[in-house]
Amino acid sequence: MLEITHLELPLAEFTLDVHIALRSRVTAIVGPSGAGKTSLLETIAGFRTPRRGRIELDGETLFDAGARRTVPARRRRIGYVPQDDTLFPHLTVRRNLTYSTASRDDGSAGSFDRVVAVLELEPILERGVANLSGGERRRVAIGRALLSRPRLLLCDEPLSGLHPELKDRILAYLQAVGEEFPIPVLYVAHDAAEVATLADEVVAFDRGRVVSRSAADKSSRTT
Amino acid sequence: MTPSRRASWTLALALAFGMAAAPVRAAEVRVSAASSLTEAIQEASAAWAGQGGDPVVFNFGASSLLARQIAEGAPADLFFSADEARMDDLAARNLIDGKSRKSLLSNTLVFVVSAERGAAVASPEDLLKSEIQTIALGETRSVPAGIYAREFLEKKGLWDRVRGKVVPTENVRAALAAVEAGNADVAVVYKTDAMISKKVRVAHEVSVSDGPRISYAAAVLAGAKNAEGARRFLAFLGSPSGIAVFQKHGFLVAK
Amino acid sequence: MTGLLSSETAWTIAFTLRIAALATILMTPAALGVAWVLSRKTWRGKSVLETLVALPLVMPPVATGLILLKLLGRRGPLGPFFDRMGLEVVFTWKAVVIAMMVMSFPLLVRGARIAFDEVNPRLEQMARSLGAGEVRVFTTMTLPLAVRGIVGGLLLAFARALGEFGATVLVAGNIPMKTSTMSLAIYNYVQIGRDDRAWPLLAVSVAICFLAVWIGETVLSRRGRLV
Repeated sequence: MLEITHLELPLAEFTLDVHIALRSRVTAIVGPSGAGKTSLLETIAGFRTPRRGRIELDGETLFDAGARRTVPARRRRIGYVPQDDTLFPHLTVRRNLTYSTASRDDGSAGSFDRVVAVLELEPILERGVANLSGGERRRVAIGRALLSRPRLLLCDEPLSGLHPELKDRILAYLQAVGEEFPIPVLYVAHDAAEVATLADEVVAFDRGRVVSRSAADKSSRTT
Repeated sequence: MTPSRRASWTLALALAFGMAAAPVRAAEVRVSAASSLTEAIQEASAAWAGQGGDPVVFNFGASSLLARQIAEGAPADLFFSADEARMDDLAARNLIDGKSRKSLLSNTLVFVVSAERGAAVASPEDLLKSEIQTIALGETRSVPAGIYAREFLEKKGLWDRVRGKVVPTENVRAALAAVEAGNADVAVVYKTDAMISKKVRVAHEVSVSDGPRISYAAAVLAGAKNAEGARRFLAFLGSPSGIAVFQKHGFLVAK
Repeated sequence: MTGLLSSETAWTIAFTLRIAALATILMTPAALGVAWVLSRKTWRGKSVLETLVALPLVMPPVATGLILLKLLGRRGPLGPFFDRMGLEVVFTWKAVVIAMMVMSFPLLVRGARIAFDEVNPRLEQMARSLGAGEVRVFTTMTLPLAVRGIVGGLLLAFARALGEFGATVLVAGNIPMKTSTMSLAIYNYVQIGRDDRAWPLLAVSVAICFLAVWIGETVLSRRGRLV
């Protein structure tokens, strides 16, 4: 449960001004490009510092401008899948996936195998990152974030930059991930239709503000 | 960093330190000596080693430079200077063992020119000739050979008229080399220097009565790590066999 | 002296190489630290640090040498301290190391800083979001991705240390078999007219520096990822 209270972050053309509590398991934030969606995700992840406001996750205060408290990104346990994947170019797929020490903490290779299975990463585990296809990169980025055992997963435009056929495939992967791993997810997209099928709730976002929110229309889902 | 990487770095560092540090030699005697003494004192130290003396390590240079180094803390046991003034300097700073100080040697000034096509410089006044364009001298305010040369030329009333031709060098051997290489027409060096070079000839020798009083001073240094070895070496240098070596190279015995 | 390499020449070459290597290794941690700070942080007096670091690069080397002599010599602020510890610094190999370190430091900082600047900060951010602390971010992200530029900087610094003269001659003198580096020995031989002994040293100096810089350039210019 993510509570954002009177968050303010000045951006180039407007100020991010968000006040919302997200309780659904899967939430989609949709809005036109330039609306500040990525900045919002970066702020939640701890990469940007708001001027004002509070962020609480599952009751823990991650940021409180008034009390001058902030938890650094590395301790927030929030998985982040950015729009450009940001894979580590000098590491293999396997080492990218297992970068987080949490991924090895529990000792059981169980979760590693599960993630690899769900995202079908087995064939590319030992490959370098440079020659992966767009879809493969996306899956690795998702797997890496998952393996850090986050309590919240943030995905920025998970279907962007992919061919239409690929979009469907990644969508299928995301659905599988959603079914296999019970972690709250926050998707951000500019095309509502893309992620509506995954979400329990859709929040409309524009020029740094929440415009409306509604339960997702799941009738369009196939299966 | 993995433990094995850390270990290799430590090893590399240890090796580097170990290699870089000068090996600890059993009691060597470190001698800072005037350039003009180079061949003679090396032969003397070989003779001394033959008698079982501690190995000697030399640092040659202009006495002024050596004195400066000692004043700044250069490690040395014995200082053998080409003039008394440099030694007085160190004495004033309490850097020498005053009791050990001796004036052992003297020398003669000579004018040297290139052996092949050197100009005729039969007397000091010949320095005024127009064909003499460059005169190499040790730096005339610091290097003893240069100081002696200037004293002499001042006494002859020639200094002001020739100083425009003077090329100062870092030490007396550099002045010699300048003439050898043809970069200077004439140099004023010690007779002992001229004797080691086949590429120059002595054009004029300054007589002892005419020339400046040249006196080489030697002393054990106050901060010497091997003061005992230095004392023994100095004693050897002043002994008849030591003095004989210097005389063989053209040095005069101090009066 | 018989042969191309007299024992004194061989000693001089070996001494110069290992002292330059030692100097380069010793200053690497500090240089990387300063380069990282200059690359990643800003603060009000930052340009002062940048200038200080660059000084040995632009000041006349003998001026730097004189400053070192005044600092480290018997009459300097550290003189009495060294005396008490029984440490001999000036006019020993230690002074050669110090002179080389001071003169090469800016080169390594410069190369490392550029290398750090080129590391995509988003990669470091991503590492943090995956739970890595600052040290782990540095050792697993920043350093590996900057390695090529750092190696280039190291080679340049090493070559500079090899050729160091002005500062070294003042603070370490030119004592054969004690502090005589290739550059100092060449100078001395030329001074006393022994060019024949200077030539082998000159040839070796040029060859080593050529090699060092050539490797540095090829390492730096190779495209593609560091595997």
